[in-house]
Amino acid sequence: MYFTFFMTLKNILAFFLLFTSTYIFSQENIYSSLTIPNNLKQGANAVVRLNEVEITIKAVNEMVVSEKLIITVLNKEGNDNVNAYVFYDNNVKIKDLQVLVFDAFGKEIKKIKKNDFKDASAVDGGTLYSDSRVKYLEYTPISYPYTMELTSETVTNNTAFIPSFRPVSEYYVSIENANYKINYPETLNIRNKEKNIGEVNIEKDISLGKMFYKIVNLESFKPEEYSPSILDLAPCVLFASKQFSLEGVYAEVENWDEFGKWMYNDLIKDTYDLPETTVSMIKDLVKDEINDIDKARKVYKYVQDKVRYISVQVGIGGWKPFNASYVDEVSYGDCKALTNYTMSLLKAVDVESNYTVIFAGNSQRSLEKDFTAMQGNHVILSIPNGDDTLWLECTSQKLPFGFIGDFTDDRDALVITPEGGKIQRTKKYKTEENKQQVKGNYTVSNDGSIMVRANIKSEGIQYDEKYWLESETSRDLDLHYKKRWKYINNIDIENINIDNNKSSIEFVEDINFEASNYVKKAGDRMLLTVNALNRNTNIPDRYRNRKYPLKIKRGFIHDDEIEIILPVGYEIESLPKGVVIKNKFGSYKTEIIPKEENKLIYKREFVVNDGEYPKEDYDKFRDFYKEVLKQDNAKIALIKNQ
Amino acid sequence: MRVPFFLILFTLTFAVFAQDYDFGKVSKEELQENYNPLDSAASATYLYKYRRTYFNYVKNQGFQLTTEVHDRIKIYNKEGFDYATKAIWLYKSKSGREKLNSLKAYTYNLVDDKIEDVKLKKDGIFETEKSIYYDETKFTMPDIKEGSIVEYQYEITSPFYTNIDEFEFQHDIPVKKIYAEFESPEYFNFKANTKGFLNVIPRIENKRGKITFTEKVRSTSKGFNGIGNSTSTSFETSEVEYTKQVNTYSLENVPALKEEPYVNNIDNYKSSVNYELSFVHFPNSQIDYYSTTWESVVKAIYESPDFGSELDKNGYFENEIDALIGSISDPLQRTSLIFDFVKSRVKWNGYYSKYTNDGVKKAYKDQVGNVAEINLMLTSMLRYAGLRAYPVLVSTRANGVPLFPTREGYNYVVSYVKIDDTEILLDATNKYSTPNVLPYRTLNWQGRVIAEQGGSQLIDLYPKEISNNSISMMVSLDESGTIEGGYRSLKTNHNALAYRESFNEADKDDFLEKLENKYGGLEISDFKVVNAMDISKPVMETYKFVKESQADVIGGKLYFSPMFFLKSNENPFKLETREFPVDFGYPSSINYKIIINLPDGYKVESLPAPGGFMLPDNLGLFKYNISGNDKMIQLSVESEIYQSIIAPQYYDVLKTYFKQLIEKQNEQIVLTKA
Repeated sequence: MYFTFFMTLKNILAFFLLFTSTYIFSQENIYSSLTIPNNLKQGANAVVRLNEVEITIKAVNEMVVSEKLIITVLNKEGNDNVNAYVFYDNNVKIKDLQVLVFDAFGKEIKKIKKNDFKDASAVDGGTLYSDSRVKYLEYTPISYPYTMELTSETVTNNTAFIPSFRPVSEYYVSIENANYKINYPETLNIRNKEKNIGEVNIEKDISLGKMFYKIVNLESFKPEEYSPSILDLAPCVLFASKQFSLEGVYAEVENWDEFGKWMYNDLIKDTYDLPETTVSMIKDLVKDEINDIDKARKVYKYVQDKVRYISVQVGIGGWKPFNASYVDEVSYGDCKALTNYTMSLLKAVDVESNYTVIFAGNSQRSLEKDFTAMQGNHVILSIPNGDDTLWLECTSQKLPFGFIGDFTDDRDALVITPEGGKIQRTKKYKTEENKQQVKGNYTVSNDGSIMVRANIKSEGIQYDEKYWLESETSRDLDLHYKKRWKYINNIDIENINIDNNKSSIEFVEDINFEASNYVKKAGDRMLLTVNALNRNTNIPDRYRNRKYPLKIKRGFIHDDEIEIILPVGYEIESLPKGVVIKNKFGSYKTEIIPKEENKLIYKREFVVNDGEYPKEDYDKFRDFYKEVLKQDNAKIALIKNQ
Repeated sequence: MRVPFFLILFTLTFAVFAQDYDFGKVSKEELQENYNPLDSAASATYLYKYRRTYFNYVKNQGFQLTTEVHDRIKIYNKEGFDYATKAIWLYKSKSGREKLNSLKAYTYNLVDDKIEDVKLKKDGIFETEKSIYYDETKFTMPDIKEGSIVEYQYEITSPFYTNIDEFEFQHDIPVKKIYAEFESPEYFNFKANTKGFLNVIPRIENKRGKITFTEKVRSTSKGFNGIGNSTSTSFETSEVEYTKQVNTYSLENVPALKEEPYVNNIDNYKSSVNYELSFVHFPNSQIDYYSTTWESVVKAIYESPDFGSELDKNGYFENEIDALIGSISDPLQRTSLIFDFVKSRVKWNGYYSKYTNDGVKKAYKDQVGNVAEINLMLTSMLRYAGLRAYPVLVSTRANGVPLFPTREGYNYVVSYVKIDDTEILLDATNKYSTPNVLPYRTLNWQGRVIAEQGGSQLIDLYPKEISNNSISMMVSLDESGTIEGGYRSLKTNHNALAYRESFNEADKDDFLEKLENKYGGLEISDFKVVNAMDISKPVMETYKFVKESQADVIGGKLYFSPMFFLKSNENPFKLETREFPVDFGYPSSINYKIIINLPDGYKVESLPAPGGFMLPDNLGLFKYNISGNDKMIQLSVESEIYQSIIAPQYYDVLKTYFKQLIEKQNEQIVLTKA
């Protein structure tokens, strides 16, 4: 009897299995590497099969983020794209975390639960302290391809940062299906901003209390030189709530003006608590200065001498600066604390300055100016100066007053004033400001060696690239110059003299060296590469199929004038002709002027302008550099006097 | 310049003015010093480094270890500000944890010729749980300026008395004075292992120590009637006297240790002493041996349940190995079948270890394991197949050279097979590794082969066989200086292993683009790699190419280097002097055979002279041979470095060797119109 019962059950199961087989097939489909469309496999180390993000804002201080990611890893490199980790801290709790692993055919081979994840402090080496922690997975794939399904859910009381819909943020990853849903109470006003969605398959559905986005079939991005960053190319949708909570601090802001007011009043204002002694000391320090800029210059110098940068992420999500009195006492702080400290000293001497939030880094990432929300990763100080603005990097103890270099130049930043916030563009270093001048001479000996004296003056971004040399040891400097002139084989440096002129923001290097066998000998001839001191050795990478526009972030001018003294006993057999090239990217000009016997003057000017051009121009840009490299290798043929 | 001996003495005495090293007794002179007179490039200097590690007896717990630390650091400039931040790692395990006590720290500055001190407060101290094994206490000092002095003092107590942290005498900044002391009771016998260039000899003396035990004694007496009952407690004390050995080190003016390129592992040269527990002997009990000789180290490792007994297991694989080798009797074939089987069956999880973690059985089942699981499994399979196979203990390059018999000296294990007189080393953690071609990480001095009975012998881990890269190229040059032609390279051993790792694990288009751009935008077509996966053969790369501007056209003549884009341009050795050996990892040879077809209507005006040169003591050689007629030129270039390691006394000749090599490779051919 029991036997029959089991048989029946088994039959029912079989029936069900048969009935639902199509359903199961389509589910399993996604775990099998065999079903990836060909165009998504191209140039990809991993393919996101399905990425479902669901954000549920339950209240202004409660947000649940659940995510399911199914990703097929095609090769070893792709392991890095799995990102099997979840950050948490005092304000973010992990509710659910699980991983399933499937083989190439979609068969489940492993299940990993939350407790099998490793737990560690998420403080990087450069940070003194942060309460951020991470749960991460260590998994060794048995073979490729394999598929991983990650399910996670976190809850946070911060609603100041709503995760964006950003299906792809890494190179060599393609997307089969990514979707994003956000649910929120109708009492909240959620804004969104779509970026770079022009050419992708996107589906959306927006109604009261709900928004939904879906992107399918997105091919991988591949890094290219001189191109915009992936952030400016990949599709994404940003979200923010008008009403939000940041570690218990409530805010309601609609535009940058209100946002600025909120930051000023709730996060910054009450931190200006310098002790009286410091106030009178700083007043005394600037008492002889009449104008505000000279006062600010003295205050900046004082700060640079007094404090140092230490990253400490505590208090209001790392968003509230330390009190000025604390920095005054310990003499260190992070960017917020040091900026705020400088500002409070300036306030004490009645110089207006403003706390400014920005994205730092060479890539010139701007704040999204038409999208009011918590943004940025760094803070600097701005000082209004008539129609102009001066920007101060308060974490540096070395930069000249008013010099920000490529770390925060030419991008939109949020300037916070007591009257409100406003978006402002930081200083752009224009082509003509980024100047390097080489003046010098070299003497060629009979044995093929050269004796060189070089004087190099750098300004603007060219200054930024070199000012750090000032504090190198002599052993490291010796190595540095050998590497800078790596195309000269046997450099023996005699003398290095460096002058960092901070008031004029000029970096001057005087170097003398000798190099044996600089000249290439061929029988009775000597081949002398004229350009010894500033040879372009780099050609932009070649791409079979350039995908992205050409972007030159910063322009520069190189201006060289070198006197060359030729060896006795040789005469010039042939001299390279002067060259003039001019195109939309810049220009290149050389001239060789014979002076008295055995003496030549070599002049060279190389200009590259910043700008953006369509991708079709990339090859022409590359040709320009190729031609420059070729001309920089132009040689004089000398022949022995008979 | 040679400085006479008396002059050195004079300078040394001169530099040492009266110093007070008590905590807080920072002098004005110290604060006024602008740079270290013995190393003006130093951004900071340890003025004083004190460490005392000793045993003390804690009631109910037994012996524990206490370490007292006191550092005084002078900061000369902004580059030295990093030394104002200190991180202390505290180890913990299921059986106990290290604890940090009595931390105090001050910053001293000279303000208006007066010494001002600022205390480190609690809100400047941060505690973080780094992982399940370590906690970290980190602090940074307040009020740091150029010229500041930082001083801190703390104590760590530890229950892990078998592990004494290494006493390090050399750092990346100079040290003016070191005082270090290690004190151990007679029950613990330690061996001191010293390494590095400095002459560090401890002063050893014996002192008396005493432990006082206090025991509670309870006695109960019953009344005669059996009702009343009185209990009394009394204390009895007993004392045990013992001898303790005190080792003290006192050093002055220790130079900074600086990084150099091609150094295997800078720690190998750092001056330090490591106390290794050799045995524990309490009164009236048996001696517990740890390790002091290589025999005892090997024995201890072998007898660990995560080593020897893991090696003895074979039930889990018998069926599959029987099926695999059943019909094969040749021992070499058996070896390679089993080696390949393990490589494809079990994947390495990235962990180094000489001990198994989850065990060989589980690794076999899950197809994932650490180094020991994979290579011990390999060894036992080979033994099961009747081969003379043994595990070999290895210290990886990152782990340093095992100079002394310690268990920590080795962190990795590979397998060794002896077939007749052929010796084969195997490592199944890397799928491109072949017999006697071990992954680069393991190429570090000598390994220790463990025999069945636990005996051991050394084996050289640096490869004997040269890794080759043979390049042949056919080039046609036209009169504008453009070249086109075909390229072929054949790579063996370590060169092949490195190539396979980069080629097989990358996107193919991307690999090709990187290759093109490595040669400044060489245009490549018909790119092919043969034997990328068949690791029994050399890996062969072939392609066709075109490249412009490969000859200078000057006054109707063509000038070019016959190696074109393949020539070397940059000497890897740029430092003027060198203190440590140059470590290439393996001996290598690269040779070029290049045939150049000349453009029509041109003839050779001059060719570079054939020639060659050698490194002394058979360390390496360079040969350059060239010949030609009006149609074509033939070039053969060979450069070989026969040794994996080259001692620092050869640095100058090695630098010159590369200088000459580059000059020779850059020599020009001149063609004129016929």
